[in-house]
Amino acid sequence: MAQVVLENIDKIYPNGFHAVKNASFTIEDKEFCVLLGPSGCGKTTTLRMIAGLEEISKGTLKIDGKVVNDVEPKDRDIAFVFQNYALYPHMTVYDNMAFGLKLRKFPKEEIDQRVKNAAKILDIAHLLDRKPKQLSGGQRQRVAVGRAIVRDPKVFLFDEPLSNLDAKLRVQMRSELKKLHHRLDATIVYVTHDQVEAMTMADKIVIMKDGVIQQIGSPYDVYFKPKNKFVAGFIGTPPMNFLEAKVVKGDGGLWISAEDLKVKIPKEFEEKLESYIDKDIIFGIRPENIHDKSIYKGEHTNDVVKGKVDVAEPLGSETLLHVTLGGQYLVAKVDPTTTAREGTEVELILEMETMHVFDKETELAVI
Amino acid sequence: MKRFVFGLIAILLVVSSVFAASNDLEIFSWWTGGGEEEGLLALFAKFNQYYPNINIINAAVAGGAGTNAKAVLKTRMLGGNPPDSFQVHAGMELTDTYVIPGLMEPLTNYLKEWGVYDKFPKDVMKIVSYQGEVYSIPVNVHRGNVVFYNKKIFKKLGLTKEPTTWAEFFAAMKKAQEAGYIPLALGDKNKWTLTHLFENIMLSMFGPEDYKGLFDGKVSFNSPEMELSLVLLERLIPYFNRDHSALTWQDAGRLVFEGKALFNVMGDWEEGYFKTLGWKPGEDFGWFAVPGTSDAFMFISDTFGLPKNAPHRENALKWLKFIATKEAQDIFNPIKGSIPARIDADKSKYDVYLTWSMNDFATVAVVPSIIHGSAAPEGFVTSLNDTLNRFLVKKNISNALRDIMWAAEDQGYLTE
Amino acid sequence: MSVQKNKSRMGFIIILPSLILIGIFVYYFIFWTIRTSFSNWNSFSSLLRGVYKYVGFRNYERIFMDPRFQTDLWNTLFFTLFFILGSVGLGLFLANLIDKGIKGSRFFQNLFLFPMAISFVVTGTVWSWIFAPGNFPNDPQGLNLLFKKLGLEKLQWMWYTSSESIGHFNLALIAVIIAAVWQMSGYIMAMYLAGLKAIPEEILEAARVDGANERYIFWKIKMPLLKPITLSAMIVLGHVSLKIFDLIYAMTGSGPNNVTDVPAIYMFELTFRSNKYAMGSAISVIMLLMVAVIIIPYLYSSLRRGVSS
Repeated sequence: MAQVVLENIDKIYPNGFHAVKNASFTIEDKEFCVLLGPSGCGKTTTLRMIAGLEEISKGTLKIDGKVVNDVEPKDRDIAFVFQNYALYPHMTVYDNMAFGLKLRKFPKEEIDQRVKNAAKILDIAHLLDRKPKQLSGGQRQRVAVGRAIVRDPKVFLFDEPLSNLDAKLRVQMRSELKKLHHRLDATIVYVTHDQVEAMTMADKIVIMKDGVIQQIGSPYDVYFKPKNKFVAGFIGTPPMNFLEAKVVKGDGGLWISAEDLKVKIPKEFEEKLESYIDKDIIFGIRPENIHDKSIYKGEHTNDVVKGKVDVAEPLGSETLLHVTLGGQYLVAKVDPTTTAREGTEVELILEMETMHVFDKETELAVI
Repeated sequence: MKRFVFGLIAILLVVSSVFAASNDLEIFSWWTGGGEEEGLLALFAKFNQYYPNINIINAAVAGGAGTNAKAVLKTRMLGGNPPDSFQVHAGMELTDTYVIPGLMEPLTNYLKEWGVYDKFPKDVMKIVSYQGEVYSIPVNVHRGNVVFYNKKIFKKLGLTKEPTTWAEFFAAMKKAQEAGYIPLALGDKNKWTLTHLFENIMLSMFGPEDYKGLFDGKVSFNSPEMELSLVLLERLIPYFNRDHSALTWQDAGRLVFEGKALFNVMGDWEEGYFKTLGWKPGEDFGWFAVPGTSDAFMFISDTFGLPKNAPHRENALKWLKFIATKEAQDIFNPIKGSIPARIDADKSKYDVYLTWSMNDFATVAVVPSIIHGSAAPEGFVTSLNDTLNRFLVKKNISNALRDIMWAAEDQGYLTE
Repeated sequence: MSVQKNKSRMGFIIILPSLILIGIFVYYFIFWTIRTSFSNWNSFSSLLRGVYKYVGFRNYERIFMDPRFQTDLWNTLFFTLFFILGSVGLGLFLANLIDKGIKGSRFFQNLFLFPMAISFVVTGTVWSWIFAPGNFPNDPQGLNLLFKKLGLEKLQWMWYTSSESIGHFNLALIAVIIAAVWQMSGYIMAMYLAGLKAIPEEILEAARVDGANERYIFWKIKMPLLKPITLSAMIVLGHVSLKIFDLIYAMTGSGPNNVTDVPAIYMFELTFRSNKYAMGSAISVIMLLMVAVIIIPYLYSSLRRGVSS
């Protein structure tokens, strides 16, 4: 198994499109790394450059300490699982999985053993004689994965492998892939636009936008310590609330202030916000950190806002309240026992310890 | 729907009345271009001067040597829908196909009634007759046994006398070959030109009487002359242009015209072809009868006959009477570049070559051409084409002889 | 229910005219040809009299014993073989070249496809000029003239007027095969191009990652996936070549010693030149059977495929 290192990698297509800009990060041995971002952000291009399916315009790519920029895909010892599986339609499942091994001149017995072993792991042993078109989507997915694991490569590359599956199957495959990762002890690079997949599976998440890496970190990091407004808004459902506000100095410290909004900033953040006093900032708070005052049991002070409920969406385990707050909107994920209804006024408590502040110009996180 | 049906009936009535009641004359031919068409139209014009009320329908079908026209005609005859009169090569092409099955009316009595029966050579009347009855009237005559040559090359080679024997012919060809010329141009892509050459060799080997006898059941095909003909053909092969099987007869004629080849054996339509290329007969090109055949005239003739159940029989008879006249024949032939079938034509209307041909026509034996449909049925012609086509490559005389015997047997000719 | 019934009756009425016409002009004529091939109608007068005399397989026996027809069968075999190999090979090669996206591929695609729009008669005439040997070496024509200008006199040859052969393969056919391949390979290229474009890029990438080089991908991935197209191409070419008439008739005729003769030309000459209708019909029936041998399995398999999907 191996480490993958990207150093200042650029991808510029012949038509001038700059798909990946100066990407640098390291995927450690046995790490499950997810490249996450909206479509067109350059994540798949990055993955394909690691595979050798796209030429690297600038920069250096190392696998296992060796520069592989000019190495053919077949010589990089990687396996690639495609979004639409890319099974060879004219071959049986067995032959699909054995194809790479045959090409590498493995002995017949070993091929047989590896294929059967992988088929057992993936629970497709009974499908080995079928052709791809006789399989369901989930089964094809497993074959595609099987084709990768029989090879026992240094690095597995997954390109949105679950996006063609229905929701239920996706959840199931998600956990299976995670289990497989532990079982194989493999280095995996996994591309997705689904932040839930990223959060649930990744050891490390690389978030990209417009070809630029926004943040690299653990799921914990990107959720709790987003580096900028984009990451903060991309991770989490529903997304973080952003309110335009000002930092003002007042009664016993610093306050976040906007129309219908005046909440106290916890002491530990004050130092970082000194320079923003009386300036416009973006105030961010996640819906799950907002509570209905009428049923909230914890202690709190100076953190209540009052707004009008536009829409109430009961989801069972919680209820989403869309609240108007002086011309701005706020979504709160509150306990389902709430009595707030559309058109009524509601008092909400903001957990200010979880607050975020972003510079209005640079959109970088201040807190 | 009702209106549609009535409309249809109305159209049918109009159309059928036009066809049935009108004073028409439908003439079927394959003369659709060049001097042939011009000559035909000149005939029509003259005919209409005599019979202004007859509306001539020119049912001409294009296609080289009438191949398409013949197929159309067969279909019409099979379907019981004959034209009033149609063009056909003299002899077996008419006899075998239409006379024997009983589709034609004999014309002997009419010819006698019009007083023209003895205006045609006896040999000609024989060729157009079956069991003593004449079935078609020849309007023009072409000669098949002619060698055309390039006079400039002839002179350059120091030749002065036109060959009359094969020995002289071979000597001349040898001279031409040594000087880098093609001695004898041939273009047998369409096969028939080779048979055309061969029937002239046969004529020279058998002589006119025995040659005719082959088809009368008087002379056997299994004669030494047959083998001699093949031997002579084989001796000619080295003198052909090597690309002969890629060429047509016009291409071969062009080789002579362009000064690349000395001789070409072809029917005298080649004379017309040379003239259209701008050559003057007797100045730029000369001609002589194929060696050993100066006492014979290989007869190729277009004729018109009278099918039974012709829709406008009276008009057809008027047409036949007209084309048998000296006037009609002298209108048509100078334009087409052929000579009249009548021996009393006006020689002043014809050029130097045609005059030569007319003189011979009146004096020497007239014999029917195989390849041009006068002597033998089409089935025999195709077999002979095939045999010679093979022979030219294989040069196997005994096989070729055997194949010719089989083809002759098929037609009931003597092969004893 | 009654709407359904009306609909199907309406449909039947609409196709009835074409059913009748096909019935008469295709199947009845085939039947009539077969019937004729067992008759003694080998002259115009016997046909005209219309008295049918059954002669069994006599016409077939005569045809098969005829050396010209034997040559025709060999010619058809070799022509078909090399014509299909050449068209498929060249078509595939061009399709791959264009699929790789060389500069101006769109232009070349149309250029190669263009010959298909020309009739075989025109192709035959033009190529008969190109391959006309002339009286080389002194007075060559066409290609031989080009060779002379290039100082390559050694390459001058008789082309389609050659009567040489290797075994039963008449070398004169080479020129005809080249002309036929020229005409049809663009069409085959278009078929393959459509097939290649339909192969998902991911499958090829998967193979590349799996360790296959381009040649291996071509033979083990692309070719198997193009198999239905290869089959269709062979059917199209096969029935063209078994029935070929116009190209050869215009280009070479039968050639010396029938080196470029084919059954269709012989059939035409027997039927329409020699009035041997029964023997001509026998050749037609043999040709029909030859075409049926390749078409019927294809129809069968495509019908079955249609039912199963």
